[in-house]
Amino acid sequence: MQKSLKLWRTFKEGLTNFRRNGWLSFATISILSLSLFILAMAFLITVGTREIVRNLETKINITVSFNPDVIEEKILSVKEKLGHFREISSVEYISRDAALSDFLEQSGDDPVIRQAIDEIGENPLLASLVIRANDQGDYEKIAKVLSESEYKTDISRINYEKNKRIFERLNKINAASKKIGLIFGLVFALIAVLITFNTVRITIYSHRQEFEIMRLVGASNLYVRMPFVFEGILYGLFASVFTLVGLGIATWFMAGMTTGAFPQGNLFNLYLSELPFLSLGVLVIGVGLGVISSFIAIRRYLKI
Amino acid sequence: MPGKDRKPIVRFEDVSKIYPGNIVALEKVSFEIEPGEFISLVGISGAGKSTLLKMIYAEETPSEGEVYFKERSVKSINRKHLPFYRRNIGSIFQDFKLLPQKTAFENVAYALEVDGKSAAEIKNEVTEILDIVGLSGKEKKFPRELSGGEQQRVAVARALIHHPKIICADEPTGNLDPVATQEIFDLLLEINSYGTTIIVATHKKEVVDLLNRRVITLSDGRVTHDQNKSKYILKV
Repeated sequence: MQKSLKLWRTFKEGLTNFRRNGWLSFATISILSLSLFILAMAFLITVGTREIVRNLETKINITVSFNPDVIEEKILSVKEKLGHFREISSVEYISRDAALSDFLEQSGDDPVIRQAIDEIGENPLLASLVIRANDQGDYEKIAKVLSESEYKTDISRINYEKNKRIFERLNKINAASKKIGLIFGLVFALIAVLITFNTVRITIYSHRQEFEIMRLVGASNLYVRMPFVFEGILYGLFASVFTLVGLGIATWFMAGMTTGAFPQGNLFNLYLSELPFLSLGVLVIGVGLGVISSFIAIRRYLKI
Repeated sequence: MPGKDRKPIVRFEDVSKIYPGNIVALEKVSFEIEPGEFISLVGISGAGKSTLLKMIYAEETPSEGEVYFKERSVKSINRKHLPFYRRNIGSIFQDFKLLPQKTAFENVAYALEVDGKSAAEIKNEVTEILDIVGLSGKEKKFPRELSGGEQQRVAVARALIHHPKIICADEPTGNLDPVATQEIFDLLLEINSYGTTIIVATHKKEVVDLLNRRVITLSDGRVTHDQNKSKYILKV
């Protein structure tokens, strides 16, 4: 009973301090918000890059074209076999007729092309299997296995070589974005921690004489400390809300520039789709930083 | 006057305080304070008055010797129990040491809140004590809105709220004009008349002479005079 009464009192005290030190609270929250904003932005950029790369990856495939004399059943049996590989996510069969109608459609039913095909007398296009891998690193392996398989005589060509450079470049971008994201994230996290810690320390420093007074009138160290811990929580809560709102506004302004870059649409859509995780992350980091900074900063004034 | 058969409330036994750098603040100080006494502690700045008072409320510990509160060694009090020990002692300071973000009422109430008293008890007791020190109607004022004398009254009210056995006042009127000084001393005398022991470190010769009570004179960390019904005899 006494404990909960004291806890309630220290909470009320923290709330009153927070209100009466309006400017100081505002300044601390602004700094904490900025730190959180930078962190959240670094996170969004990393996720964004990953999404862009992933978006491109889904558009990548290798196409295996079969000689005109290979019958459909045989191609379908190859498809069936390929379907068992762990590395392969999908195999799509495109018959010669389908390839032709796709081609004609893509050329916009150009009468010249139609006439040329009519003159050849037969469908010049080959039946093919469009293979998509789970991991783009596996394409090389798949191409190699196919070119060395029992069907190698049936295969006219595999367009892996053409795509190889694109694969390599994407792989590089992906790896680099992961590394840069991690480094920037860590650097920003460190900056955020330092700035927040120092700001809270200054806030606590401005109260240093009060700690002595509180102790002299018989307050225990915990009783002196708790209001500041609650203040730290309040800083974190307010800063988190400001950060999320600020991030929403910032990404909304950038929405136009980033249309179509992500599977989700634009940067604002990405923000919305990541909002639950972002909210939780910002809240935990914000409140955590506020509380831990207060806790550590006040320690040096509670000696004796 | 206190009877001789009573046990001292505070006893200093060969107490020395030596700060790093071999700075001697107190040297072999011994004296006793009996319950109900009103003692003036005089001496020039740096004579060791503040250090002596700090040892009573355990803000400082002796380098040598012992300070006893009701025959219990203050040094032996566990750190965890210090807040409880300090509730036996009311402290008053030259710079008032009020919490600037709290109103007069809240400043006094804080000392009870830390004790876990109920809101109703706090309201009654604080209102009563603020009335005693003459601050009725100023409960909601912040320290910056009060005069020096009024701020010191808040501090006196806070010192009184736990019904302490002893009040340690360190230059309580150092920042006050003569009228406010007289008022604070009148207030301390009134508190003393109810039985609370009071020890005041002060510079104010006129007041000490008027009091005509026990005076302990400190010089260079030593007790040079300790006389009942004395006058301010320090020559500066």
